[in-house]
Amino acid sequence: MALKPVTTPDIEAATVELSIDGRTVSAKDGVSLYDVISSTGKIVPAMCYHYTFDPFGSCGMCLVTVEGKKAPVRSCTAKAAAGMVVRTDGDDLFQARKKAVEKHLSVHPLDCPVCDADGHCELQDMAFHHQVTNLANAKQKLIPEDTRSPVLDFNMNRCIACGECINVCKDVLMIDALQFIKKGGFTQVVAKGDTALACEFCGDCLAVCPVGAITNKFSKYLYKPWQLRKTTTTCNYCGDGCQMHLETKDNEVVRVTSPLSWKNKWGDRADTAKGHGGICVRGRFGFQYIDSQARLRQPLVRRNGTLPEGELVETPWLEAMQAVVDRLAEVKAAHGAQAIAGLITARCTNEELYLFQKLMRAVIGTNQLDSSSRYGHLNFVRAVRHTLDVGRMTNDCEDITKAKAILLVGTNITETNPLTAVRVKEAIRVYKSQVIVVDSAQTNIAKLASYPMIVTPGTEGLFVQGLVKSVIEQDLIDAETTGKHPEAFAALKRAVADVSLEAIAARTGVSVEHINEAASIFAEAPRAIILCAEGIVRRPDGYQNVLKLVDLAWITGKLGRPGSGVNTLTEEVNEQGAVDMGAAPEYLPGQARFDDEAARDKFAKAWGAALPAPSSGANLMEILERCRSGAIKALYVVGENPVATLPASLEVRAALEQLELLICQDPFLTETAQMAHIVLPACTYAEKEGTFTNLEGKVLRVRQSMDPIGESLPDWHVMTSLASGLGSQFEYESSQDIQSEIMKLLPGYYNLGEPRKLSPKPDAYLSNGYVAEVGSRYGVVREAVSERNGHRPFGLVMGQLLYHSGKLSTQASGLITIAPSAGRLHMNAQDMERLGLTEDSRVRVTSGQGSLEMGAKADLSVMPGSCFFPEHFNDPPVKDLMPVEVDSVTGVPYFKFAWVSIEEA
Amino acid sequence: MKLKDWIKTIIFYEILVGMNATLRHLLHYKPITLQYPHEKRSLPDSYRGMLSLLRYDDGTEKCVGCDLCEAACPSRVIKVISAEVPGEPTKRYAKEYYMDMTRCLFCGLCVQACPVDALGMTREYEWAVYDKRHLYLNKEQLLAIGDRAFPVREKRLELQHPNVAFFNVAFTHLPPKDN
Ligand code: SF4
Ligand code: SF4
Ligand code: SF4
Ligand code: SF4
Ligand code: SF4
Ligand code: FES
Repeated sequence: MALKPVTTPDIEAATVELSIDGRTVSAKDGVSLYDVISSTGKIVPAMCYHYTFDPFGSCGMCLVTVEGKKAPVRSCTAKAAAGMVVRTDGDDLFQARKKAVEKHLSVHPLDCPVCDADGHCELQDMAFHHQVTNLANAKQKLIPEDTRSPVLDFNMNRCIACGECINVCKDVLMIDALQFIKKGGFTQVVAKGDTALACEFCGDCLAVCPVGAITNKFSKYLYKPWQLRKTTTTCNYCGDGCQMHLETKDNEVVRVTSPLSWKNKWGDRADTAKGHGGICVRGRFGFQYIDSQARLRQPLVRRNGTLPEGELVETPWLEAMQAVVDRLAEVKAAHGAQAIAGLITARCTNEELYLFQKLMRAVIGTNQLDSSSRYGHLNFVRAVRHTLDVGRMTNDCEDITKAKAILLVGTNITETNPLTAVRVKEAIRVYKSQVIVVDSAQTNIAKLASYPMIVTPGTEGLFVQGLVKSVIEQDLIDAETTGKHPEAFAALKRAVADVSLEAIAARTGVSVEHINEAASIFAEAPRAIILCAEGIVRRPDGYQNVLKLVDLAWITGKLGRPGSGVNTLTEEVNEQGAVDMGAAPEYLPGQARFDDEAARDKFAKAWGAALPAPSSGANLMEILERCRSGAIKALYVVGENPVATLPASLEVRAALEQLELLICQDPFLTETAQMAHIVLPACTYAEKEGTFTNLEGKVLRVRQSMDPIGESLPDWHVMTSLASGLGSQFEYESSQDIQSEIMKLLPGYYNLGEPRKLSPKPDAYLSNGYVAEVGSRYGVVREAVSERNGHRPFGLVMGQLLYHSGKLSTQASGLITIAPSAGRLHMNAQDMERLGLTEDSRVRVTSGQGSLEMGAKADLSVMPGSCFFPEHFNDPPVKDLMPVEVDSVTGVPYFKFAWVSIEEA
Repeated sequence: MKLKDWIKTIIFYEILVGMNATLRHLLHYKPITLQYPHEKRSLPDSYRGMLSLLRYDDGTEKCVGCDLCEAACPSRVIKVISAEVPGEPTKRYAKEYYMDMTRCLFCGLCVQACPVDALGMTREYEWAVYDKRHLYLNKEQLLAIGDRAFPVREKRLELQHPNVAFFNVAFTHLPPKDN
């Protein structure tokens, strides 16, 4: 019988008592003896052990004596049993462990002086602790370094064959990209099949390797651990908001390390449900943009007239700031506050987002402001605020791990939010969760899921409709919850009466049996989680789709039940914070409605200024419209880049050209900044203090790890001076001061550490308003496929790659090395064959919006009849092929999907 | 007795005893001060003078950029910026190397720390400068000092092998470096 991992709560195990160093300890029968020993606080040396995966037992360090056994035993692979008498210390054990170290060292190159692990190496530590000073019969392996991978170098001379890298990759990450092979008489680690490593490059193998056998190509030989300054901060790429250590040397980021490390090998196995401490490829290898040459170092002001003739000239801060203030005041005096608007990125800190909306509302006096949460996250927030009176996802990541059923709709989670994906994987591996994946592509998570459902592109919402219908048809409803609101339930039943599962099956391409199966798996699980993301929330009807998912959760009784609920994923790190801080026209800080009189009074009083009229606000799309019409004359853009993000059909460029004043504040000279009249250099997250709110509502510290590059300044600093220049005294000397103000206004928001548990409150909505609304929700879904049936047979999806995040990551040379802008369309191999295409072919892609030529490549995850292009690159500008549709309720623009035709060019 | 004391007082006997050495040198005059810079002292073998970086006999730099000297130096004189030798994935070297000699206390700890004997203390001490900045030495300057101070260079070890990062004399079975 294999070891019983202590993590699995479902495994029944008797409690036994054993004696460790004379102390009686109780433990579960059959778990690792090493776990039991370390739970008493005793640390036994161990080189191949890590609490995040099952014991492997190769290093021979964790020796203890067990009464009745002649030789010392390896405690990590030994099973705790009743009545065991264990001794963990003693000279005999010391000598036995010393022998084990000597065995490792006798085939070790001992090239510590040039080894990247030097000073941070468990073998060194062990040799030192066990006083190894002499080696008989030392031997060199002389294995050439494996430099085939673009990210990691494998120096197998230094490998101690502990297997940690393989185990973390296989067990924890379920990627399984590494293996042992025997070559030249020595066991070595190679990529599966002894090829160049091509994996997800999370670098967790590098983190757990106790020696210097795996090195990071981007930092190799550039440092010794004692030269580095380590700052613990929050990753600024995706909404998972992982904690990580930025390690800097002389104001340069040298490497990024994770809390997961061979140094943190002792932990409570149950704690992995909250996270294993690893980070993904973007966090670990995407740091180079911070000190990149392309960073703006000085303010730029356009001289000699305006676009396109004028030239951006480097200008001192004082002068540039004066120009900003003067010209904003000019616009305001001439056209009023309604002629000014602002956009901000959700990669700014909470403090900056708060300050931004305060600046716009209280100082300038306009409610025309928006953040990048408008690209989709607001659909989710608006829907759950409307129905459940909560403002974010209802569960935390631990609930995801411990769920018995997870319904993933429209999310390529391993690419967009890799660390939340690890939670889902742990649910599969440890908690034996049933995972239903609904997506139009064969995603990595679909390969691991028990119920992968591949749907026709664009029909994810329809599938959810099918699930609701199927739950009702199969009578899987939770009578208790629906019984409380019989009218609402009757209305829902009426609404889906006309929905036909057969029709849905025909349109989605999933059979009725499979829909029914998915519905019953979800409905019958005691803890069931819905995770919906870009493929459904950021597609036409995204808002309605979330409402349908809420319906599904409601009728199956999952709302408010512990460990169940409706959840989403965020793409940029602080999308949740942007909404919470009120960087949206419809919300004040704390998601108070902007037209709520009590809230308006509270903030007007706190800010000492009258708020703009409730109906005067404008969201992203409306702001662009008003720029085009000339109503808005000045636009303040903080870190946003609408020119490069939105399709050409929206004529963003033309709209911005109309402006009298465009101010861009950004670390880089983006496409939008190139059009600006004034460009202000902003710091990245590594150069400032603040907080991010991740997708589960955790407020996470961002710590300054280096001095600002050039003359760049943190955004809050610029906004503070701007407000002061405009005549309002903002007296903030640090982001801490802003934090204190937010703390006063939103008590309890800075619950650093654990997110507050939310309890959804659907009753108000169900008894009031639901009946009237639900009818339209399940109306016949618009005939989105009509174009397809004609002459545009391929569904083109623009989406995220694992190796990138937005446009920001394209400035990180490490990520560009891993995933360069290839300008190629990802296609299904069968489709390519059918069209007579090869990897060298060029294709012409035509949509209703235009036509482009590009390369093509086969991609195993793409299904026949669809194709994919990474949204990070505008080369060629595939975004311009996308039709745009704006959600009538939330104003979210949908532009990531189009029907296209493809022919050889 | 009394007379003896009286004579001693008369002739200032105690002073004569005290001045013994002075009076002797007054008569046998031999100067001790060296007429520097025309004359120079001979230095002891263990003299710890100006630091330098060394090369092997084939002219390659010895330093492998391990930064142990920087770690050992008590007064933070040294700064090593290391990198991979272009085209040789296992080899590391000091891309840049600086010593701020205004701070050095000539303790020699860096020389002791160096695993490849890449540092040497020369017998140079004539390093007065008009501008302190001239005592911030870079790799080329330190190598030049080594070149002129140690004309006889150590032979490059035959133990270097393309597949190992660092030669280690503990291993004797290493094949010679192939050319
Ligand atoms: S892995 Fe550790 S013991 Fe081996 S060479 Fe590197 S620092 Fe030295
Ligand atoms: S590469 Fe590192 S982690 Fe992997 S087996 Fe070797 S020593 Fe262990
Ligand atoms: S990109 Fe997301 S998953 Fe990756 S390290 Fe950053 S926060 Fe974590
Ligand atoms: S001699 Fe001493 S003080 Fe001078 S550089 Fe070497 S270690 Fe530093
Ligand atoms: S200790 Fe020697 S080899 Fe290491 S960096 Fe200093 S001079 Fe170079
Ligand atoms: S920790 Fe038990 S054998 Fe390595």
